[in-house]
Amino acid sequence: MQALQTGKTPGLRSRPSSRPRAAGRLRARTRRRLAIIALVGPAIVLLLGALFVPALNLLVKSVVESTGYGQVAYHFTFSNYVSAVSTPGYLTVAFNAFGIGALAAVICTAASYPIAYFINFRLRRGKNLALFLVVASLFSSYLVRLYAWYTILGIHGVLNDALVRLGVVKQPLLFLLFNRWAVLIAFVNIFLPYTILMISSAMQNIQKDLLEAARVLGASPLRTFSRVLLPLTMTGAVGALAYTFILSSGDYITPALLGGLNGEFVGQIVSNQFIALGDVPLGAAISFVMLAVFLVVYFALTRLERFKGI
Amino acid sequence: MRRRFKVPWLGAYTLLVFAFLFAPIALVVLFSFNKTASLTFPFHGFSLRWYRYIFTSPTYTSAALSSLQVGLTTLVVVAIVGTMAALGITRNEFPGRRVLRSVLFAPAALPGLFTGIALLTFFVQLHVPLSLWTVTAGHVIYTLPYFFLVANSRLNRFDVLLEESARDLGASPWQTFRKVTLPIIAPTLIAGALVVFSLSWDEVYITFFTVGSRSTLPIVVYSTVRQAVDPSVNAISALLLAGSLVFIFGIRRFLADVQQ
Repeated sequence: MQALQTGKTPGLRSRPSSRPRAAGRLRARTRRRLAIIALVGPAIVLLLGALFVPALNLLVKSVVESTGYGQVAYHFTFSNYVSAVSTPGYLTVAFNAFGIGALAAVICTAASYPIAYFINFRLRRGKNLALFLVVASLFSSYLVRLYAWYTILGIHGVLNDALVRLGVVKQPLLFLLFNRWAVLIAFVNIFLPYTILMISSAMQNIQKDLLEAARVLGASPLRTFSRVLLPLTMTGAVGALAYTFILSSGDYITPALLGGLNGEFVGQIVSNQFIALGDVPLGAAISFVMLAVFLVVYFALTRLERFKGI
Repeated sequence: MRRRFKVPWLGAYTLLVFAFLFAPIALVVLFSFNKTASLTFPFHGFSLRWYRYIFTSPTYTSAALSSLQVGLTTLVVVAIVGTMAALGITRNEFPGRRVLRSVLFAPAALPGLFTGIALLTFFVQLHVPLSLWTVTAGHVIYTLPYFFLVANSRLNRFDVLLEESARDLGASPWQTFRKVTLPIIAPTLIAGALVVFSLSWDEVYITFFTVGSRSTLPIVVYSTVRQAVDPSVNAISALLLAGSLVFIFGIRRFLADVQQ
């Protein structure tokens, strides 16, 4: 074993050789290429067949005319994109989705910092347990958690019942459920475990000494955070912001369950075009506009990674 | 130095957030054992009434079987394809390697809505009838990145010299994989497979569009909740929760790999 680990073996293989051996090497190289194709091929086929080709197909559908439920006529037109960005109702709903999504992203990321700090720099034995709990909550069914908020915030829910019993209010509060704030609460509940993990793993490689050095040299806690901790964890923060923003503003299940009329999201409009209304081109166009917004936000956020502290 | 009592703000805050994370789940599980149909305190007694109901309801049992079928098929396909891709990418230099690696992560960052409508349109176009197979296709593409992430990070930490010595001692590539690589990475692959299963078990964003006449469990729950408050949903939720926590067995290793 020892002899093998000194690293002599690769040298032996690559020693210059005579002609027949060169031919053998060529054959070996072809074999290696075939092996790579065989290994990576199935994944590529899957990605192409179940994601990229369907996405391209959708892109084509977004520039043709709708002629009734699920039917299209292949005339090139941009009218779907025009309606996607100019119908007032859609715009309101889009602002709703992107606004609540952005709020959820900022709240989740900001709320994760103290927890990630606590887990990484204060806890010793409890560290693994704390991370375990975060992962456990991340993997507990989101549908169940949505349903839970539905029962907590409802007219006959736990919260209203408690408030009435305690005499805080006389009548159950109707404004708890079916609005955008109920959606926001659920988003924070669902995405917080992800952001805690992302920020926490960004803090993993920071030496505690570094933070202590900043303190000893006279930096206030706030300054230590903004000049040392934040710049060093910026990649994690950007990841957390982008992930939460994209997945929450693209959501259509949470708003459908908890949002009510004033909490309608753009995802519901898209989903309705496909299921109830059958206007595939319009639905496709709206979804690509949505995707474009996500891309712009994502690239804007990655620029933040260069942040070196204030 | 003067020591004074410091309020453990950070600890208290962390505890509070953990309570916020777990309270809804705890509540649902608690109410699944409630004797009456009400969803408020105080409790009127403990009963397994709702569990009895869901276990005898044909809708729920067939949905549970569908979910199991989809989850297991997804798990097998993703484990095989994902391990092969990770081996191919970590062990070889080839053009487009880095692009391929980032493209493999893409489906995880895409809203399920988009994958769902793209697949639905595609299936309709090709006249593929919607069934549990179309659901499985969506689940495979959705879970592949997560499995790939785990397998990839494990293989990156793998001591390649072990494989090279096996090869030098005359083992074929397949023998090397079977006798050296696989036994070492197997625990990680199992953890990744459990992650895949629990993601599939819980998936509703893509499934909503690709599902045919046979529903999966989350779809049944979703349509039930949208219609009315039905206390049996508490029990089915508790079961869904139990299914997602299958993952708990592989959790340590997964954590270790993701944090690396």
